Amino acid sequence: MADSKYITLVSDGGFEFVVLREAALVSPTIKGMLRSQFSEAQTGRCEFPEINATVLEKVVEYFYYWYRNRDKEDVPDMDIPVEMCLELLMAADYFNLDAKPALRNMA
Amino acid sequence: MASSRPNKIRPIRKPIMNKETSEFEPCWEILKSALTDIHNKNASRLSFENLYRASYKIVLRKKGQLLYERVKAFEEEWFRDHVLPPIAELVSGNLVSIALLQMPGSSPHERRQTGERFLRGIRSTWEDHNMSMNMVADILMYLERSYTAESRQPSIFAATIGLFRDHILRNNLGGPSEQLDQPFVIFDIVNAVVLDLVNMERDGDIIDRNLLRQITSMLEALYETDDELENAKLYLTVFEPRFLSASQAFYKTECEKLLREGNASAWLRHTQRRLREEQDRCDTSLSILTADKIAKVIEQELIVAKLNDFLAMEGSGMKSMVDNDRHEDLSILYQLISRVDKNALKTILQSRVMDLGLEIEQALKSTDFSTPGAGAEAEDAAEGGEKTKVQPLSAAAQQTATAIKWVDDVLQLKDKFDNLSTTCFNQDIVLQSAVTKSFSEFINIFKRSSEFVSLFIDDSLKRGLRGKSDEDVEVVLQKAIILLRYLADRDMFERYYQKHLARRLLHSKSEIHIEKELVRRMRAELGNHFTAKFEGMFKDMELSKDLSENYRDHVRNLGDADTKNIDLGIHVLTTNNWPPDVMGRGVIQEDGGRADCTFPPAIKRLQESFFKYYLRDRSGRVLTWVASAGSADVKCVFPKVPGKESGPLSKERRYELNVSTYGMIVLDLFNDVANGESLSFEEIQAKTNIPAQDLVRTMGSLSIPPKSRVLVKEPLSKNVKTTDKFSFNAQFVSKTIKIKAPVISGTSKVEDSEERKETERKNDQTRAHVVDAAVVRIMKQRKELTHTQLTTEVIGQLAGRFKPEISMIKKRIEDLLVREYLERIDGETAAYRYLA
Repeated sequence: MADSKYITLVSDGGFEFVVLREAALVSPTIKGMLRSQFSEAQTGRCEFPEINATVLEKVVEYFYYWYRNRDKEDVPDMDIPVEMCLELLMAADYFNLDAKPALRNMA
Repeated sequence: MASSRPNKIRPIRKPIMNKETSEFEPCWEILKSALTDIHNKNASRLSFENLYRASYKIVLRKKGQLLYERVKAFEEEWFRDHVLPPIAELVSGNLVSIALLQMPGSSPHERRQTGERFLRGIRSTWEDHNMSMNMVADILMYLERSYTAESRQPSIFAATIGLFRDHILRNNLGGPSEQLDQPFVIFDIVNAVVLDLVNMERDGDIIDRNLLRQITSMLEALYETDDELENAKLYLTVFEPRFLSASQAFYKTECEKLLREGNASAWLRHTQRRLREEQDRCDTSLSILTADKIAKVIEQELIVAKLNDFLAMEGSGMKSMVDNDRHEDLSILYQLISRVDKNALKTILQSRVMDLGLEIEQALKSTDFSTPGAGAEAEDAAEGGEKTKVQPLSAAAQQTATAIKWVDDVLQLKDKFDNLSTTCFNQDIVLQSAVTKSFSEFINIFKRSSEFVSLFIDDSLKRGLRGKSDEDVEVVLQKAIILLRYLADRDMFERYYQKHLARRLLHSKSEIHIEKELVRRMRAELGNHFTAKFEGMFKDMELSKDLSENYRDHVRNLGDADTKNIDLGIHVLTTNNWPPDVMGRGVIQEDGGRADCTFPPAIKRLQESFFKYYLRDRSGRVLTWVASAGSADVKCVFPKVPGKESGPLSKERRYELNVSTYGMIVLDLFNDVANGESLSFEEIQAKTNIPAQDLVRTMGSLSIPPKSRVLVKEPLSKNVKTTDKFSFNAQFVSKTIKIKAPVISGTSKVEDSEERKETERKNDQTRAHVVDAAVVRIMKQRKELTHTQLTTEVIGQLAGRFKPEISMIKKRIEDLLVREYLERIDGETAAYRYLA
């Protein structure tokens, strides 16, 4: 299971997102999670009980946005609804994504 | 605090912000129990997210500092309680005494067992610690990122991994033990055990290389301080220096042992093997960071330290390697020495070349002694005032052979060293030029090298090349050029070569296209001025050939009856291009007047006719007939001998005799001598005016060798004396129609010491002029120069031709002062000014 191509992210309320492992690894937090000997690494299932589904969905969307555009230049900005900005900022911090230039645009 | 600012937009739901400080302790409890689980390898049941979130919250609460300290304290405590005790147990008194005291009586096997057990303990502790700390660092990722980075503290990973260094490696285990008076830490034991294992492996034991590699990677992962500076790895700061100094001691001892064994060949192989081993050790057991440094140690201790001693070893050293063509040894030697300093090899090679070169000369002398017959005879002849006569031919041939042997030996030596250069020395430029220099040196120490080289070429071109393939010719040409390169006194060589070439050309002894090729190469090698004369000679030969043919046509057209039986082949030689003795000028000098011999009337007419023809296009020129250099085919008729009715003597015999021009003149005299009458040597000389020396030679060739004895000499001795009488040999018989009377002047031979002196004297005269010219040229350009400067410039200008002696330059300058080309500058000790 540990080396499966996909991993599952679970949000507050039990919403599950099956995500391409490679895309999710953009987040050092998830990377560390899957690297160690902890339960997530064994099961490929990462639970985030304090992140709500809307925010996690947007985060996952970003993972794919990053994954698709990782080798490209002049990528169009990702569409961020204004009302989600603050929560997404928090999430980005949590997922350790704030060093990424693409995310800086998003923020 | 954010709540105190009402105007800040806050997220809708943020439970983590609500509970304030009270949340630290629960979060820490989660983490603390997780740390224990991690150390106990129970992490798989923990949720990373849970732990991450715990540390995340703590940091958000600005309690990062507290968390940092708690974690550090926890780890220190863990270390004290769970890690150290087993390690301390490993460090038994036995280990300490083995590792640090080199206790005698402990067998290598025992030492290895104890040592490896200890290292394994260290290794497993390290592996556990390293893994745990990585995991801790992972869950504390948020702390590392937000707090440690901002507060400029060492990362939590560095701080906790460093515990291993501080609490294990630098642990002194409660002060010095009773066995050891100086304090020590566990690190010392680790080092000592590793070094001991390395030495065991060097002595041929099998050790756990993997274990060593893991221990050294541990040292590479640890740093002197938590700042983790790249050059402050414990491996580099502590282990490596000790390793290098221990290795140095080891190899120093080994080198002395090898020196005592006294076998340079074994030393080479051993050193090569050690280099490989250490490289291998760095790859597999230690760190590649050390590879270059340990190689330096070996270079220093095994190669450089006693290099000269090994190279000078009797029976296996450099001398023996070179002499016995031990190419493998030399290859290794070269590889080893190129790592360090090639000078020692260079010096030894050079002195070896010198010695071998001088040996050749020495061998030459002993060869001379080994044929005392020829030598003694030559001496006798010289005493009798008769220099070149029939018998010394063998002595002359002997000497020529000596010259050729010398050249062959030199070439062989050259081949040998060329071979060494390609097979062993990787065609190293430095060594090549060093060897070349030595060659040039010993060749030029040998006074006769110029002459011998020219003789060698003469011999090869004259005899060797007929019927040989192009490749063989190429080899000879190349050899000739190689030798030429070494000669410093090129003007001497030029003089000899000119002489020998003249003989070859005039007597058609060699193939002209090969001669031309050789000269072309000389020109490429030494420049135009060197070969100008030779090329002039070729040109003369070609023009002469045309001239002879044209003249023949001319005569045929005239239908002139005068020349009915004589076919003239003429060489018109330009005086400057040809050596003086060929041109007959030598004779002029000796006798103080023109030594024209008297030609028979038929020949005289021919000469006049040709001269007339020659002047038609070239008025104003003077032709001098040089009889000493030519040859003639003479048809002789030996009438039937009366009284003989059978056998060859009963018939009339016609032969074609090939003799020198002088021989032809002499034979012509006998046309007028009645059968049975004779002419004395003096009579012949008076009638022909041939110089006595040449006449002796000519008469010898006609009256001594049985094959060409057309004249009978009275008395019948082997030497021609001025009192001898000669008569027509009516009984002459030969199996062949064409007979060649051996002409002594046709063979090139080594000069005897008197001739040598003469050549040197002439050469010095020429040199004097060349030096004069150089001095004037330089002064004209520079106007004023000191004596030293001038001397240096002259030597520089003449380097391509010869090495002028300082005394000669000085003499020439003085001479030029007298002749007022130069003047001394007043007030200065030795400086000159050019006078226009």
